[in-house]
Amino acid sequence: MADELYLENIDEFVTDHNRVVTYKWLSYTLGVHVNQAKQMLYDYVERKRKENSGAQLHVTYLVAGNLLQNGHFCHKVAVVREDKLEAMKSKLSTIASVHVYSIQKALLKDSSPLYNTDYDIVKTNLQHCSKFSAIRCAAAVPRTPPDAPQVPEPVQSPQRQRDPDAAINGHRVRAAKPPPQQHKGIMGMFAAKAAARPQDTPKEAKAEAKEAAGVSAANCKPPTKNTIMNNFFGKAAMNKLKANSVPEQPKEEKEVVKPSVAVAESESSPNTVAEKPGKKTESDRIQQKDKKSKTKRVDRSDDEEERDPENVKKKRKRIKQLLSDSSDEEADVPPSPTPEEERVPSPPPEPALKTELEPASTEVSAGGRKRKRKRVLKSRMFIDEEEGCMVTEKVYESESCTDSEDEFPKTKAPAPQEQAMLPTKREPKEERKNPKKGAAPASRANKQVSIMGFCQKK
Amino acid sequence: MFSEQAAATAQGLLAPPSAEPPTFPRVAVSGYSDCSQPFQLGERSFARQYAHIYAVRLAGMRPGLERRARSRWGNDVVLRRLSELQEGEKCCVVGTLFKSMQLQPSILQEISEEHNLVPQPPLPKYIQPSDELILEDELQRIKLEGAIDVQRLVTGTIVAVYGCEQDDGRFLVEDHCFADLPPPLPWSGPSSDRYVLLASGLGLGSVSGEALLSTQLLVDVVTGQLGAEGEQSCAAHITRVILAGNLLSQNTQSRDTINKAKYLTKKTQAASVEAVKMLDEILLQLCTSVPVDVMPGEFDPTNYTLPQQPLHRCMLPLASAYATLRLVTNPYQASLDGVRFLGTSGQNISDIFKYSSMDDYLEILEWTLLAGHISPTAPDTLGCYPFYKSDPFILTECPHVYFCGNAPHFQSKLLQGKEGQRVLLLTVPDFSATQTACLVNLHDLSCQPITFSSFGADSEDGDMELEH
Repeated sequence: MADELYLENIDEFVTDHNRVVTYKWLSYTLGVHVNQAKQMLYDYVERKRKENSGAQLHVTYLVAGNLLQNGHFCHKVAVVREDKLEAMKSKLSTIASVHVYSIQKALLKDSSPLYNTDYDIVKTNLQHCSKFSAIRCAAAVPRTPPDAPQVPEPVQSPQRQRDPDAAINGHRVRAAKPPPQQHKGIMGMFAAKAAARPQDTPKEAKAEAKEAAGVSAANCKPPTKNTIMNNFFGKAAMNKLKANSVPEQPKEEKEVVKPSVAVAESESSPNTVAEKPGKKTESDRIQQKDKKSKTKRVDRSDDEEERDPENVKKKRKRIKQLLSDSSDEEADVPPSPTPEEERVPSPPPEPALKTELEPASTEVSAGGRKRKRKRVLKSRMFIDEEEGCMVTEKVYESESCTDSEDEFPKTKAPAPQEQAMLPTKREPKEERKNPKKGAAPASRANKQVSIMGFCQKK
Repeated sequence: MFSEQAAATAQGLLAPPSAEPPTFPRVAVSGYSDCSQPFQLGERSFARQYAHIYAVRLAGMRPGLERRARSRWGNDVVLRRLSELQEGEKCCVVGTLFKSMQLQPSILQEISEEHNLVPQPPLPKYIQPSDELILEDELQRIKLEGAIDVQRLVTGTIVAVYGCEQDDGRFLVEDHCFADLPPPLPWSGPSSDRYVLLASGLGLGSVSGEALLSTQLLVDVVTGQLGAEGEQSCAAHITRVILAGNLLSQNTQSRDTINKAKYLTKKTQAASVEAVKMLDEILLQLCTSVPVDVMPGEFDPTNYTLPQQPLHRCMLPLASAYATLRLVTNPYQASLDGVRFLGTSGQNISDIFKYSSMDDYLEILEWTLLAGHISPTAPDTLGCYPFYKSDPFILTECPHVYFCGNAPHFQSKLLQGKEGQRVLLLTVPDFSATQTACLVNLHDLSCQPITFSSFGADSEDGDMELEH
């Protein structure tokens, strides 16, 4: 019968393990209501004393009641040793409760072992610390994220509860936003990618930084602020990720990310009309950014669009992987077998996440190219037939080490309509320029010589 | 209050395990509204001078004081500004008090090189017999003497004085009055017993672990783990817990980084980090069972000037997941089940204590209520935000419960006003020193202290002295 079981358990804890068994500890350990635990302790004491009056048992009691103090009644709650129990009871004018507080083998000098036992057991059971209590509060429910979700919320709220650190990590800078919102933002960005994908194909550039940008956008902060954040993250992330894989990339990316992001921002505005409201900036970046991408990053965006719930999970996985494997990514530079698309280098979690991606690109992209892209700021000069002048533009081109090139100009071209023409126009030009990859001195002109110059890919 | 109801089943748990022990549902909150909007600062700009706050304070309280003056000294009493004073004419003047004290710490004197002064050590009281009272209004100031207690009053109080100007330029006061109790609020308290537990000065992060078990006992009583069934069912009537400041101990304030060399302190963590983690766990235990309002105090990680803004919820990741946690400002005003609470974490009262001859925290609390202002010494000796539009510390309505935290002892008093005001004045003691919290019954505005104790090598005897 279960009745006797608890007696044996308590006996084992007290005598064999030499534990201090408090009612709370017993309640959590045996999974019983606190009142039952108190009664169990009492029962054990009684029986033990009956069968063996010389039992080595010290008991502490909890006494509560009214005490006349300084002329008024005060409710006193006290933990007392057994020998002082009667004295305390006599002091109180009315006794409200008496029960066993703890049992232990040794005589306690002070109450710190009691406190420590309770502290430890509560600490290990923090998530349901009121489970065995005698009072239930209907109002004590975990908060749900306040905003209307852009992506499935149920997936996110439990995750939020479970995983506050992961959520906070990548988004610490965005102080006031609840983590799920950020996840939603990322998810929203994936969703946005899906929406923008058809438009992307001709342009073949996908922004990876959209994720961070998407987060920012979804967070409803002014985009400019986020770009600063993104830049900050971008630089940090870049440093981490690019240690070896594409030597030139780090230095260029660092320099390029910031202006490119800023440029992307400015360019996003004309293109926002077509996009869904919450994902404008993301889609814009998708269309406009021309950033080099890592192998793995390609696939990420492809996968994400497929299934949103999966995206969430994937994203989660990635974050965790990122945190643990960030060093691994750098050593790992396998070319992705699937067609690659350009990805915008993104702020910290995202780029790192992308590198974890399984190759699964289903994207339409311009042929199976090997990655290693970097964005290079180049000056291009061409003759503008319409106006009969020569136009010199500074353009970010993506140059790939493997000789295929995608270019996505971020230009400050004078005539907006030129932009539409430019990409197609430039392609043939860019082909010509392919051989001059990353190490192009022209592009260097605008950048400071970086120490990574020593580690250039031959 | 607990004891009588619980006495019946007091010994019930000294028995073998019974069948299914009862669980009591927590009494639901029937009405809660947060009225602390005036204390919440949005955009903060410290570019303004503090003179504006005195100007709006005087402008805000002048009408009430003039009404009081008329009711006290007759409808035909002459109300004058200082600039209109005539020598020898009996009149009433409304203005702000300024007490010039020799011992008042002055930063300018401390850093002045010509005085070559050693910085004054902090004293418990800065009053001296040579202090003087000066009355200021919008344009002028005049020294006061006569039937006015210089030692008792503090700077920043708005007062109406009745007397006449002497030929030496001083104003001889025959009588004076304050704003008195603000107009009463309608009473709509609950019809059955509902309790609110007030505690302050938890003092986590202190070096001594004395109060830790008592804090745990407090949490256990409120969450219904401790006590026999009767007590647990009474505890289920606690509808709210208000923690009135100083959740962290003063020990967490030490800034080694200032005094020690950088290489010694590089990897050290501030003491408050560990303390806040402990606070988070305690709050989590409370929040899973009862709504909690957390007010910041003097040693808590928030801004220093009054009104202190709520603690940021990122510091309490575990507890802020629950909707029952409310992080509120100091001072805090809210309407709980129809009963209006107003209180502070005690900085205002302790500041007045330093600059006045009043010794009793309850007396000072009552005096601030009668003076119509929560904290008259701000911004003179107590840090305050430079308000310029209105002074949010002016009492416009009479609360039902007016409390201050971190007092040395528990004291309470039910004050009845002439216009039907009924206020429970409550000084919540410092828990880390006294292990005492307060239980307020919203039904009849009665209150009882609740003390926790454990046994230590010598703590048993402490109780003996107190009971007589």
